[in-house]
Amino acid sequence: MSPIIRFDRVSVIVHEKTILSDISFTLFSGEKAVLCGKSGSGKSSILRTLLGLHPVKSGTVYFQEKPLTPSSVQTVRSCTAYIGQEPMLGAESVREALLLPFQFKTHRDHRPTEAQLIDVLQRLHLPADILRQESSRISGGEKQRIALARGLLLGKKLYLLDEVTSALDAESKQAVFDVFSDPHLTVLSVAHDPEWLERCGIVFELEAGRLTQVTRNGNT
Amino acid sequence: METLDIELPRMALLYGLCLLPWLLLRLIGLRMSRDIGISILRMSIQLALVGIYLKMLFDLNHPWLNGLWILVMLLVADLSILRRAGLKARYFVLATFMAIASSILFSTAYLVILVIQPTHFYDARYIVPLAGMILGNCLQGNVIALERFYSALRKNENEYATFLMLGATRWEAVRPYFRDAVKAAINPTIAGMATMGLVSLPGMMTGQILGGSEPWLAVKYQIAIMICIFTSTTIACIINLKLSLNIAFNAFDVLRDEVIDKP
Repeated sequence: MSPIIRFDRVSVIVHEKTILSDISFTLFSGEKAVLCGKSGSGKSSILRTLLGLHPVKSGTVYFQEKPLTPSSVQTVRSCTAYIGQEPMLGAESVREALLLPFQFKTHRDHRPTEAQLIDVLQRLHLPADILRQESSRISGGEKQRIALARGLLLGKKLYLLDEVTSALDAESKQAVFDVFSDPHLTVLSVAHDPEWLERCGIVFELEAGRLTQVTRNGNT
Repeated sequence: METLDIELPRMALLYGLCLLPWLLLRLIGLRMSRDIGISILRMSIQLALVGIYLKMLFDLNHPWLNGLWILVMLLVADLSILRRAGLKARYFVLATFMAIASSILFSTAYLVILVIQPTHFYDARYIVPLAGMILGNCLQGNVIALERFYSALRKNENEYATFLMLGATRWEAVRPYFRDAVKAAINPTIAGMATMGLVSLPGMMTGQILGGSEPWLAVKYQIAIMICIFTSTTIACIINLKLSLNIAFNAFDVLRDEVIDKP
């Protein structure tokens, strides 16, 4: 089986500062991985680099064994859901936010039904009437779950999660864990939460932009 | 009906009027003598030079010379737009030039050739002031459009990235900021048309009336110029922003830092 993500000696320089240095790792489909390290160690930069938001100085990023190029970045983005600490919903109401990607040409023909919307909200322990609420009035944890719901509606297989569980209560956290227990979903996350770390099979440790340790299923 | 000349001694009397605001400003503790002096001096010299040049332009009335004057105006406007919008000229100079040149030439040609129909379409008396007025207003609109668009993109960097992540193309992702920028650029013109004649008498109309035109004729020219300003500002802003999209982003659709002129 070929990896879904592969970083091959990747270095990234932003504003003349090296933020990632000689990073190499692989992630296979269905694996759940977490990036650990102090603030500023480059965890989020790995996620952003994969999405083509940071220019690669040297080395190559592979997605489904194809190098990340201007022409392949669209594929990476269309297969990936990125959810940050305070996700941008990009619309006035929650319903509009959930349907936002379906305005874009690439998803226009896959608009979900009302039943699908409610189903995905239930999976994330969100009430159906949240659809009517204004995006600016919902909590950070709810925003994260709406962003997650949007990824699920789009049928995304790869989830890049940046500190997602930090704003969630125990019940919502459990709902998120349940969603990602699906073996078809691949996760590359940034987290400090011990519970989340426990559930991730792979732990990448970073220090000052370098990958210092990789633990796979408890083995370093 | 001839306009009354202002002879030199009476011009001096006119400059004397500036003493009143100068004194008032001093009284409230604003010492701006230098700024005021420089501004009045610059205005006088610049307008005198334009007067000399326009006189020559009108006397010769040569199509190439008139064209050259319009080209110079376009180039100055081009650089002024980019400087005021905070974008680096070396990246956008051609795009902005193409946007304003095409829209100004189109609307001026439309007005002069199809509507006014002078004996010679290149008649300096018509094309130079009309193109100048349209360009002046178009310049303001383009500064607003570019400045609004790129500052909104930088301010909403995460939202823009979110749109990309949700499958938007570059064009789909920038569209909300694009629309806002165009709206902000043309709003003053639309508001200006709506209140025209009520709040103040428009400059061109006043000029024509002073120059001896019938008020009705002045009104028709004022309507003509406003429609052309509205048309050319809209066209120029849309073309300008569209062309800039090919320059301001890298191949991964990320805004290039180096194209923005940091204050």
